[in-house]
Amino acid sequence: MHIKGIIETSFVDWDGKIVSTIFLPDCNFRCGFCHNHKLVLDPESFDSISPARMFRYWTKNKDFLDGICITGGEPTLHKELPELCRDIKELGLKVKLDTNGTNPEVLRQLIGEKLLDYIAMDIKAPLEEDSYSDLTNVNLNDTFDMIKESIRIIINSGVDYEFRTTVIREKHSKEDIEAIAIALKGVRRYVLQKFQPKEVMDEEYKVYTSYNDEEMEEIAEVVKKYINEVKWRGN
Amino acid sequence: MQKPEVDIYQKDVTDLALFVKVSQGNVLKWDINRIVSSLLKEVGIDEALALNIAISVERIIKDSGIEFITGPLIREIVNTELIKRGLEKERKKYTRLGMPIHDVHRLITSHNKENANVPHGPEATNLSLAESIKKQYALLKIFSPEVALAHERGDVHLHDMGFIDRPYCSGNSIEYVKKFGLSLPNALSISKPAKQADVLILHLIKFSAALQGVFAGAIGWDAVNLFLAPYLVGKSDKEIYQIAQMLVFEFAQQAVARGGQSIFSDLNLYWEIPKHFMGVEAIGPGGKFTGNTYEDYLPEAQRFVLALIKVYLDGDGMGRPFFFPKPQIHITERLFQTEGYKDFLYRAAELSSVRGNSYYVFDRGDTAKISECCRLSFKLDESDLEDAKTPWKMRYSAMQNVTLNLPRIAYEAGGSDAKLFELISERLEIAAKAHVAKRGFITSLLNLGHGGPLGLLTMDKDGESYYRLHKATYLMGMLGLNELVQYHTGEEIHESNSALKLGLRVIAHMSRECDRLSERYNMRFVLEQTPAESTAYRMAKLDLIHYPAQTGKIVKGDLARGEVYYTNSTYLNVSTPISPIDRVKKEGMFHPMIHAGSLTHIWLGEAKPDPEGIASFVVKTFRNTTNDQIAFSPEFTSCLDCGRVERGIN
Ligand code: SF4
Repeated sequence: MHIKGIIETSFVDWDGKIVSTIFLPDCNFRCGFCHNHKLVLDPESFDSISPARMFRYWTKNKDFLDGICITGGEPTLHKELPELCRDIKELGLKVKLDTNGTNPEVLRQLIGEKLLDYIAMDIKAPLEEDSYSDLTNVNLNDTFDMIKESIRIIINSGVDYEFRTTVIREKHSKEDIEAIAIALKGVRRYVLQKFQPKEVMDEEYKVYTSYNDEEMEEIAEVVKKYINEVKWRGN
Repeated sequence: MQKPEVDIYQKDVTDLALFVKVSQGNVLKWDINRIVSSLLKEVGIDEALALNIAISVERIIKDSGIEFITGPLIREIVNTELIKRGLEKERKKYTRLGMPIHDVHRLITSHNKENANVPHGPEATNLSLAESIKKQYALLKIFSPEVALAHERGDVHLHDMGFIDRPYCSGNSIEYVKKFGLSLPNALSISKPAKQADVLILHLIKFSAALQGVFAGAIGWDAVNLFLAPYLVGKSDKEIYQIAQMLVFEFAQQAVARGGQSIFSDLNLYWEIPKHFMGVEAIGPGGKFTGNTYEDYLPEAQRFVLALIKVYLDGDGMGRPFFFPKPQIHITERLFQTEGYKDFLYRAAELSSVRGNSYYVFDRGDTAKISECCRLSFKLDESDLEDAKTPWKMRYSAMQNVTLNLPRIAYEAGGSDAKLFELISERLEIAAKAHVAKRGFITSLLNLGHGGPLGLLTMDKDGESYYRLHKATYLMGMLGLNELVQYHTGEEIHESNSALKLGLRVIAHMSRECDRLSERYNMRFVLEQTPAESTAYRMAKLDLIHYPAQTGKIVKGDLARGEVYYTNSTYLNVSTPISPIDRVKKEGMFHPMIHAGSLTHIWLGEAKPDPEGIASFVVKTFRNTTNDQIAFSPEFTSCLDCGRVERGIN
């Protein structure tokens, strides 16, 4: 497994925690709004970072770090992920995993081995195959059931988690977001993220926009009818 | 009086039909005697020589055929004659201070972009004009030619020479204002000690404005929330919020004061009762002891500090952040034993995340500090802590700040360690001489007493004058340690352990030299992180001229556009992304040697982190590093045209 990027200290990747964030390459989706599309389409353009260097840094700075955030790309595509999580846990640090939810088996394994302390799973669109395919630009077929399975696993895992949606005005109506909330009814936490058109996979998305702060606030209010803890993140 | 050899009243001279415009706004008939007597009075040469010069000057003027001449032009012609005769020392004494008309025009009509704190307006240009003259005066009259040259060449930088007739900055105590009211020397009316919180705040603001008139730099106030607390008993949350608003807005809006600037002010704040204020008798309304100690007012002090944080969070009338006064939040061991500290830290961290205002000052062990400006703070020594029992006495000041151009020292050392350290000592020696000169001058002004220019500082209400000269410190600043190390070792401080080690050795050497000089001169020399960004540009530019080959290799900024700078003080490179943990730890290793205060900036970029993460970072910095002070900086861009503030840099 290659690690393609690291933010040594991050205040924003795990709310309330000081973490290092690492980026794993490759993904089975092609989301038009993908922020890290180079990691997905052209991972070779990044140098790999030696795990030894990273672990040295983490060991030295354990007195500040609460944990490690593993993101991508899609980390669950890498078979070495459990081992990486194990090594991090052994160091005494917590692990947060970002995932698109297409690999329930990996999630089950990681949760079973108690290797995760926080899971953030993307919900790209209302939970219907068409909308999901439209946002992710892949033919879902079986994968769609995997996503639903992952949601179930996470809810019942006993591990802290959030579901999150990047909200794009041109792709998500307010009703769409409400539909997602209805489908997720009763989950612990749901986070709405404002879309940032600066860095996208699909050129078309460059002209797409986000809702403004007041609208985000309104949408969050609606969502709160179904889910207890709702947040939105801006910039 | 010795009779002049030449009869100055001989016909061809006295008949000169020339009128002179003199500085008092008068037009006088030409009189050669004026030159002679001014030379005798100002330069002290003998009369025959003076007359000889005067006659030469008169000839030049006569030959030119002009009918009107100004005093300044005559003076310049006299100066030319002095130079011709090799009288350089005398010429200096005879110098007229001023500015070319072109520069004055530019100053009056266009904005000074170098100092963001100075708005453009008649008050601001008055200040700049006065500063220009006083700076020239300082270089010619106060400092020795050796010191002046070291500044002009850029070996060292003498800060705030435009304020040569004032000490640098000050830490003050509200207790003084509470106890003695507002009774400034030469004031037309005098206010008795305040009975109400709002009146006390007005006194405080006015006193700060008065202090700004006699100090060059920041005006810090210690333990503001604690000392205000006795006036807040029984007040509702709404009232307390209004008082907090009044304090911040009144300070921030003093842009009608000196030079149109805000008062550079600092509010030192505590959640807990710091150890040195335990058992101290509280002063309350009317300036009287309340019979209680400050511990008894902790609830009010805490409500007030929370209200202050809310005021900062809410921002000004347009929702913009306040830049002054700066809230300095002290973290002492007792914080963690004081109920509600987590919530307090969370709120302070929220302010960091949203606005970036909060500064966190770490007072570990038994240390205590008063912060005065963005990074200058005074560590209180034992006798200062003794002062805490009579807190109105807690008045401290730094007399002056002199900064060493460290990269230049590396160029001159040419790779030799021995030479490097020898040159540092030499430059510190020059800085010490500059401090001796400034102390001498300020002392002479203070000796003029109540009627003198620093009358305010001589007011004596508690058995000693307001300015406690014996407590003054003398600051030794440093610029571009990173570039010194880079030139000397080939690596920047963050790039290797050996580079970091050299940096630490340099600062340790400077610190030891300060101790040695302190003993020798019987003055308190202490290291300080130089705050002035303009010095970083000035020295880099001067070095590009004097040491182009060496400077070009390591200077930061945009060489092609001539926008170059050296890294501030002991900072790690600010343009390289260095992890906040590394920065806070590595920079913190320098801080224990820099007794007059240090700071690490953590850049948050465009993100607004969760306050809990920031609060945890603050606590870990206190526990796990030797860092003195941190602040989190969101990058703000404020559009002056529309008044909107955006995060991030355009
Ligand atoms: S947004 Fe996430 S799931 Fe979509 S392509 Fe990018 S990395 Fe993959």
